[in-house]
Order: sequence, then structure tokens, then C-alpha cells
Amino acid sequence: MSVYKHDYRAYTGKVTSAWTRILVVARYGFAEAWSSKITVGLFILCFVPPLLALFGIYLANNPLARALMGNKGPQAVEIDASFFLGVLQVQSWLALVLASWIAPRLITFDLADNAFPILLSHPISRFGYVFGKYIVLFAMLSVVTWVPGLLLFVYQGYSSPQPWAAANLQIAGGLFAGSLIWIALISILGLALSSWVKWRGVATAIIFAAVFVPAGMGAIVSGVLRTKYGFLLNLPFMMSLLWQRLLGVHTSVFSRISLANEAIAVMLVLVCLLCVAMLNARIRAREVVRG
Amino acid sequence: MGIIELDGLEVRLGNRTVLDGLTGELRGRSIGLLGPNGAGKSTLINTLLGFYQASKGSASVFGLDSYRDRAQIRGSIGYMPENDSFIGNMSGVHLVRYMAELAGLPSRQALERAHEALFYVGLGEVRYRKVNSYSLGMKQLIKLAQALAHGPKLLILDEPTNGLDPIARQRMIQLIKEIRKEGTVHILISSHLLRDIDETCDEVLILKRGRIAELCNIEAERRSNRSFMELETVGATERFSTSVRSLGCECASFPGGRIKLVIPDHIEARDLYVIAANQGVQIRRMNQRRDSLEDIFLRAMDMEPGRPANVSL
Repeated sequence: MSVYKHDYRAYTGKVTSAWTRILVVARYGFAEAWSSKITVGLFILCFVPPLLALFGIYLANNPLARALMGNKGPQAVEIDASFFLGVLQVQSWLALVLASWIAPRLITFDLADNAFPILLSHPISRFGYVFGKYIVLFAMLSVVTWVPGLLLFVYQGYSSPQPWAAANLQIAGGLFAGSLIWIALISILGLALSSWVKWRGVATAIIFAAVFVPAGMGAIVSGVLRTKYGFLLNLPFMMSLLWQRLLGVHTSVFSRISLANEAIAVMLVLVCLLCVAMLNARIRAREVVRG
Repeated sequence: MGIIELDGLEVRLGNRTVLDGLTGELRGRSIGLLGPNGAGKSTLINTLLGFYQASKGSASVFGLDSYRDRAQIRGSIGYMPENDSFIGNMSGVHLVRYMAELAGLPSRQALERAHEALFYVGLGEVRYRKVNSYSLGMKQLIKLAQALAHGPKLLILDEPTNGLDPIARQRMIQLIKEIRKEGTVHILISSHLLRDIDETCDEVLILKRGRIAELCNIEAERRSNRSFMELETVGATERFSTSVRSLGCECASFPGGRIKLVIPDHIEARDLYVIAANQGVQIRRMNQRRDSLEDIFLRAMDMEPGRPANVSL
């Protein structure tokens, strides 16, 4: 087949390996995500807090700079686990905003025009398709969560006059693990919810609702039944608790209500399993006929 | 070895048996899949693509199990679904390139083949437009382009002329004929339009209620010197049909006293008049004609449900 001859010609060239098809899905997913100016805007916004934190670390470790800023006293900001917890929390919620914008773009275009029959008639599995989309979301959220978090940690280790990094490795581990858990969760949640809604705006709203509405319900359950386990429906609360424990921060706010790590882990796994079931039901070339 | 082999294939969706014990071998260059709505045509296609698993028996494409080896099979199949299926916010060339890459073509070759496929189907001038701005006919053509771009060995077209105006339909039929003529690709066309199948296929598989009603080579059927007759009768048509069958004729009755017959060599028209006279049936009209796909189809549709589903060439 050639443009000038207009004849059909079979393809006889080389064929890529099966696993690279996942990367094809991911590559087109990245292109789709970045085709929106809002994505660019949100991405830039996500780097504002790390830049402010970077400035804070610089000030904290540089007495001359503090003096020039008019601060004659001791360190203005204490760079410790609480500082990095703040960074992690801010970045994580910004990541949720980013995920709720990007995830619907990755799935709903395919869903709206019923693209699954042609997509899945090619040699890519349903798992491969979802995994390709997941890579996009996970990679983009990584860039705004644990990557800047660890860079700030490294910068603090470098700037600190004392051997700070080695004494605070738990912070680095906590930042990394806490971010990974969060972005893994919101990535699959975003994809699962987007796969059930054809309209992007609605999908974005539903992702936010899925995080915050159960939190309200959890508070009601806890109030009515006088149990702390209603907070297991409160994803923001659970994650904050988890982040604190991972970074080794103890605050009075959460000391009154405590949930076992096992209970939090079970709840997060259940949410992930529910998302997998939702994806399994929706990402199909054909509707499942029952009855 | 056949292109598609069915061995007691049964597919159940929920509690319903959609395909029931299909056995046969399809060898043609271009195979037509016919049947009324709900006969199981699309289910068979979906099974061949590995979307459904056989509850009993098996289906194989190029000797590979349609479910177990689905990834391998899909690499050599181009599929044009019946309904709209595309990514609307992509340009035509972007979509076809994406599909070609998913089929395994390296990025550069995929782009080259996407341009070629779009020119080939006649969408060259609109290939940079977003697909959701295409007309219905263009959307059918881009589905064909994405099915062709990676150079499949088997092209599965599900109702390819759906919703097309006569000119676009003719263009689609012409394209299918050209692809068949090129000789490297086998084609499986599902349609409820006999004319489409008649024009493009050399073999036909007719499904009825999930069973094979007929599997035959159209050309061979046409070449066989079977004597066909159309009658218009008044009176006890059913009893007349039964008597005619007892003579050894294949017979299909239609409303309004119309009867179609396949007459063996030893039967003459006079025998039919004798039976009609004995039963008080009037034969108002008698036409002798050659077999057509319509006849094959109608005969298959009239087949008794108890008849064995295993039909082979």
C-alpha cells in the first residue's frame, strides 16, 4: 500500500514485543494528558509549595540570609519531621486535584466514543490497557509528590551544618512510602471512577466526592454508633494518621482518635480491590450479558 | 487447514446459549456470515476475537485457540466493529497510527501505514480532522482504515455497510473486493444484507438461533445444476408442500402461497400439477430460475430446528 498507488499492501516489517504495547498506551495517555493547558497550569501550581519549602530550608540553614530578611533571632523555621509532613500533605492534596483532572482525560474519551471494541481487538489485554493508563497517572503524580519531597530532603541534608540526613532517614522513608501509598490509591481510584462516567467534569467531581463524602458519612457513623471505626471511611483522616506514623510525628490532634495500622491497611486494600472490580466490570470490549 | 475451525462451539452468556454446538471449517478467501438478528453472528465474531470464552467445544483461527491464544490471533486480525468505535478527540491519522502501534508496528512504520491506509480508504484529505467531526460514512471508513493499517491476515468486518448511502456503500463494497483481489488477506464479513455478501464473498456461513443453518461455497452452489422453481399457489399450501417434499423436493413456503422448490432430476413440472389437482390447489404462477444467495438463505431459514447443525462442505 502506498500513497501514490492507492493499492492494498500487506505489512511485512518487524513487530514490536507484546509488553511494549503497554508503553504505547502510556505514551498516548501522556500526550492526551498534556494536550490540556489546564494540566500544565495545575502542574506548575503543584511546584509552588515545594519552591516555598525550598526557600524555607534555605532560610533555616543560612543565618546571613535570615539576617538580610530582618530576622535576628534563632531559626525562623525548624526543619524536622513536622515540616516534611506539611510538605507531604500539601503535595498529596495537590496530587488529588491533578489526578481528578487527568484520570478522566485518560479514560472518558475512550469510553464516550465506545473505543474499547477497537482498542481491545488489538493484541493488548484489558490489564495492559489499564496498566498503561495507570503508569501515566502514577508517573505524573510521582513528579509532584515524592520526587520534590525527596529533593527537599536531600537539599536539607546538604544545607544543614550538622549531619542531619543520616539522623533523619525515617523522614525520607516516610515521605517516599507515604507518597507511594497515596498516589497508588488515588491513581486506581481515579481510573476506576472515570471508567464509569462518560463526562469528564462529572468524573472529576465524583473523584472528589469519593474522597470527601465517605469522610462525612464516617463522622456520622462514629457519632451515632460511638465508635472510632467510622473514621475508616474517612480517607483524609486515615492518610494523615498514616503519614504521621511513617514520618514519626506526634501531634495532639490525632492522639485522641487512633486507628490500628492493620485496620488502615485493610481499608486501603479493600478500596483498591473495589476499584479493580469496577475496572474489571467496565473495561470490556463488550457488555456482559446477564440473565 | 481452514482459516476458522469450529468444533462443537457453544457460547453461553448468562443463562442463555447464544451459540449452540457450531461445527465447521471456513476456508474461503472471503467468507460471509449471515443470519437474522439474534442469530449469533456478532457473538461468533467476539468469540473469534477472544472476547468470549467457549463454554463447550472450541474455535480456532489460523490453527490457534481463539481464547487461549487470543493475543497472538489479535495481532493478525483487523476488526471493524458494527457500532461506532473510535476516539473522537483524535485526528484520523493519530487514531489509525495508535491502533497500528497497538497491533505491533514500530512508531515510524505505524505513522507511514496510517497515512497510506487513510489514503487507501479515501480519507486522505480529511486525515488531520478530528474523528468526531467525520460523517457517518467517514466513520465507517476510518474503522476500516484502522483495521487495515497493520496489514492483518484476517479482516473481520461487522456490518461494514451499516448506515451508508448507496454511493458510500458501493465504495465500501469496491474496497472489500479490491482487498480480496489482492490475495494476502482473508475476509470475514458479517451482514444481514444478502446483496453485500453476494457481491463480496465466495463462501457463506448462515446462522439461525445460534446454530449453523448452512455452510456452503456460493460459487459451487451456483454451479451445481439444481433446478429451482418458484410457485404461487392458492389453496392448501402447507399440505401441498408436504406432498411435494415426499417426492424428494426441498421446499420452502412463504406467506401468500409462495413456494420455492429445488427439484431433483427425476421430477417434472407435470408431477407438481398432478399433486396440486389431487389436493385442489391452484398453481397460478410457475417460474424456473437459478439458485441465488437469497435462495440459499431462505432455505436455511426454513430448515427444521431438529436438523443436525453439523454442516460441512
